[in-house]
Amino acid sequence: MRIGLLTDGGYPYATGESRLWCDRLVRGLPQHEFDLFALSRSAHQEDQGWVRLPHQVSRVRTAPLWTPEDGTLRGSGERGLLARLVTGGEQSYGRRDRNRFTEGLTALATAICTPDEAGTAAGTGPGAELFTEGLYGLAELARERGGLHLALRSETTVRILEAASRARGTGRTVQGATVPDHLASAAELERALRPLSLDWYDQESLGAVDLCHAASGGAAALPGLLAKRFFGVPLLVTEHGVPLRAHFLAASDASYGTPVRALLAGFHGRLATEVYRQAAIVTPGNTHVRRWQQRCGADPAKQRTVYPGMAAERFGPVGEDAERFGTAGEGDGAGGPDTLVWVGRIEPAKDLIALLHAFAEVRRTEPGGQLRIFGAPAEGDEAATYLAHCKALAAQLFPGEATGAHAGGVSPVTFEEIGGPEGPDLAEAYGAGGVIVLSSVVEGFPVSLVEAMFCGRATVSTDVGAVVEVIGGTGLVVPPRNPKALADACVALLRDPERRARLGAAARARALELFTVEQNLAAFGGIYLELISHTPVRREADTVDAHGDPLPFATPPEARLLGHWTQPGPHLRPPPGPGQPVGVAAVPSRAAVSGGRLPDRPGEPEPQHMREPEPEPEGVCAVAAGPAGGGDA
Amino acid sequence: MRDHPTSDRRGAAMRDHPTSDRRGMATHDHPTPALHDHGDHPMTRPDDPATPAAAPERPVSASKRPASAPERPAEIPPRTTARRAPGGSARRGPADPVKSLLHHHRDLCERAVDPLEIAAGLEAHGLTDRTAARYRHRDVFALAEELYARMPPRAREPVGAGPPGPGPDTEARAAWTLLALLPGAACLATAGVLRVTEGLLGDGTRALVTVVGAVLACLALRACLGRGPLRAPEGAGRAGMYGCWLLSYAVYGEELLAQVMTGGPDGPWDGTPAPLLGLTAAVAPAAWCAHLFTVQAHRRLSGSRALEEFGAGVRPLLLAAVTLFLGALLPLLHLAGLGLGGGGTPVGAVALGVLFFVARLLAAHGLPEPGTVALAAACAVEAGAPALVLAARLPGLEPLARPVDALVSAGGTGAVSALACGGAALGLLLHAALALSRASAHTRT
Repeated sequence: MRIGLLTDGGYPYATGESRLWCDRLVRGLPQHEFDLFALSRSAHQEDQGWVRLPHQVSRVRTAPLWTPEDGTLRGSGERGLLARLVTGGEQSYGRRDRNRFTEGLTALATAICTPDEAGTAAGTGPGAELFTEGLYGLAELARERGGLHLALRSETTVRILEAASRARGTGRTVQGATVPDHLASAAELERALRPLSLDWYDQESLGAVDLCHAASGGAAALPGLLAKRFFGVPLLVTEHGVPLRAHFLAASDASYGTPVRALLAGFHGRLATEVYRQAAIVTPGNTHVRRWQQRCGADPAKQRTVYPGMAAERFGPVGEDAERFGTAGEGDGAGGPDTLVWVGRIEPAKDLIALLHAFAEVRRTEPGGQLRIFGAPAEGDEAATYLAHCKALAAQLFPGEATGAHAGGVSPVTFEEIGGPEGPDLAEAYGAGGVIVLSSVVEGFPVSLVEAMFCGRATVSTDVGAVVEVIGGTGLVVPPRNPKALADACVALLRDPERRARLGAAARARALELFTVEQNLAAFGGIYLELISHTPVRREADTVDAHGDPLPFATPPEARLLGHWTQPGPHLRPPPGPGQPVGVAAVPSRAAVSGGRLPDRPGEPEPQHMREPEPEPEGVCAVAAGPAGGGDA
Repeated sequence: MRDHPTSDRRGAAMRDHPTSDRRGMATHDHPTPALHDHGDHPMTRPDDPATPAAAPERPVSASKRPASAPERPAEIPPRTTARRAPGGSARRGPADPVKSLLHHHRDLCERAVDPLEIAAGLEAHGLTDRTAARYRHRDVFALAEELYARMPPRAREPVGAGPPGPGPDTEARAAWTLLALLPGAACLATAGVLRVTEGLLGDGTRALVTVVGAVLACLALRACLGRGPLRAPEGAGRAGMYGCWLLSYAVYGEELLAQVMTGGPDGPWDGTPAPLLGLTAAVAPAAWCAHLFTVQAHRRLSGSRALEEFGAGVRPLLLAAVTLFLGALLPLLHLAGLGLGGGGTPVGAVALGVLFFVARLLAAHGLPEPGTVALAAACAVEAGAPALVLAARLPGLEPLARPVDALVSAGGTGAVSALACGGAALGLLLHAALALSRASAHTRT
């Protein structure tokens, strides 16, 4: 099976985001063939080169999403002199294409300028339809005629944006947009729509894959959307973070005015909704992402949470020691049961300040306590400043205390670097502690917590991000920004070795069950097979032989059935209520039924499919009256 | 199944919370009482957003009054309390916790363009669904929606109050001004050397001086067109070639046409270098006029609310810039004519100067094609005149020379270049008045 893996600033690049996960996926499923379609984020990233690709990767296509230094894009000079002069130096489209462009962009701009009315679920209002109409209209135009990026920089675009922002029903912020705002919006829109102009949409590229797997939402999923539109390739979207949320967090730093941000927010929101609507299956990386996806219009029936897999092997010895010796930290004697350990990248979001204050509290009740902070090498000025700040605070809170008359002063807090020349490796760092502490105020998927769980350590963590669902009762959770609570939890664990051992063992068992690479691979392998069995891509070329004659058995009979023939037919469904009008209302009731049953039947396809018009049955089992048309009375 | 050993001590812990470094959150954690005495609700200490929902008891010591416990999230109908009349309920405690939250995150809420942006910001500050339940909301999204809805209409930032552009970069400006002066200086120096050495040097040496001067002027022109306000970001296509042809014609064209019309060409002809000197000297004023136009257009751009308004404002600017340039070009050409004995101000050279200026202005705004086409058209007309005269010598084709004859008899040999360049410049100016009044032409800086 051929999988098209779509990444955005990701996998094949050595500095990509989620490259580890993609690499494991590609190597871990050798039975599939992978085509990589990668968007790069910057010239720097392209310069860094690729990681080594395994042989499963048969093809790599890349495209830049960034603008070169001189601001010129490929192909900006390809038009004829006279053509550009005649068209006002704007676009080389003829009248018909110009009309198509105007129509598409008007629909798109209207959709992103006009927020849905309050109370409308994402993806159901008229705006969503306008957005799809505009997006696919522009995509088809770009595929057939090219030149979309030039048209998007033209005056026509600015005029359309202005008209759309002045239309009735647009938000207050958008209405106040000025000319510079429109120009900035047009530039950003052009950047966001750049994936439409890629040359990936032909039979040899995205048309040749059996399944598109987008490694993130947003720009990476856009080619997947178009592949589904043009070739019917099913789309699987995996999100470990929410692109919309990341956009909001990043956009607050940007220098754009409010109207531009409102417009961009509209675009990204609508795009996310469309991606979730079109995706056959959406796999959020944790419950937090899942909630955001649902908020943006993802159907819960399509969602499967697939936890990111992490290599458990290197923590094996430490974890097994913990199991064998019962009490964590007593096996090697290096750390000792009184030691608290913090591991992670030192940055302000980790709130080490609160940890230090909490440790001061711990020292008051447990004078023998130690705190070892293992940090990855700091990158950037902010991190370095923060590290210095933390060290200063530690020195202030814990002035060197001499244990005896002859011993030198030793601070109970140490800062150590992982991967340093004499520093310990990651597993040793976790092994050095009796209790692992996580004090973050902001956290996505807490990697260090999972590592601690692999090591069989009892943990105390703050209630942020996905911590609660990861720890699942196998460690203590306290509110964030609350050193007293953190200290109390630590003391409680430090005083109770039995409980520590119990929690540690439970944590290790849980982590081995849920967060290993193997479960991740198994989940995706299963999803691939499931998707391909539900929505196989049927190509005309596969059903005929070299002479153009139909091949026998090339099209299985069930391919002609309406809907999914393994599901109960309409006669098994509950009849519509007496007051319900037959027809339109019957479909929502069906949707509600399957929606309610879905949690315990994850393999069931979404009810959305049931409403899509299927090809004519052509006599084969025509009596299996499918729900197409909704008239299942 | 959560192991929550410390939930009952949280109240005390909240107030012990040190806030030495909180990434701008310091004020959020310890609000001063004064901040929350606004409004008419009997406000007690606002709930700390960091405290979880499942609190069995409220921090009694904090509010100095009995406070009821928030209910479990599951029992709370979302968004019921926000509009509760103050004191109209039996519940005691903070009457409107959301209000204090709104106050804490005023910046975030004012900036937000979408409820989801508030939700993202709140989560980045450590708020979770469990804390959202303290505000009697089902989740952070519902809370963010209430915050978004309750935020008073944003006071719009005054137009043009965005980040002020980089201040006048005097150094760069001086640099490109100096560069723009170089071509004129090179030409002037060459002319001076030729004048001084008249009769002293042989013809070969004088020709060498001329060539060296021309090369220097070309290099200087290239340098000054590569930066500053005359830089064309997308290149200028073949405009350079056409420009060379037009300049050569300005120098030698009249003489050539005169000889062709009188039966020639016969023998070497003298050029009239005065237009060349005047035009190269006008590069500096051209750069300044283009700079002023760009700056003014940007100022107008940042202040305008509608595209029509902007376009109407830019057209006079363009005319003013061209007029200004004309005002500088005329005296320069006149002076050059006086100095080199060209005899007055040739209209053709003036038109050529305007044509060059407008073409370059368009190219500097990313529209090189129209200028190239206009230059090419002028070239074609200028080349066509002698060609027509020559063609008319063929038997049967005599009528071809008639328009040229009429033109030359009406306005002299200079009329051809005046017509060619003047027509092209006028057409290009009209086009520029349209093209440069589009806002999209001013996106590049």
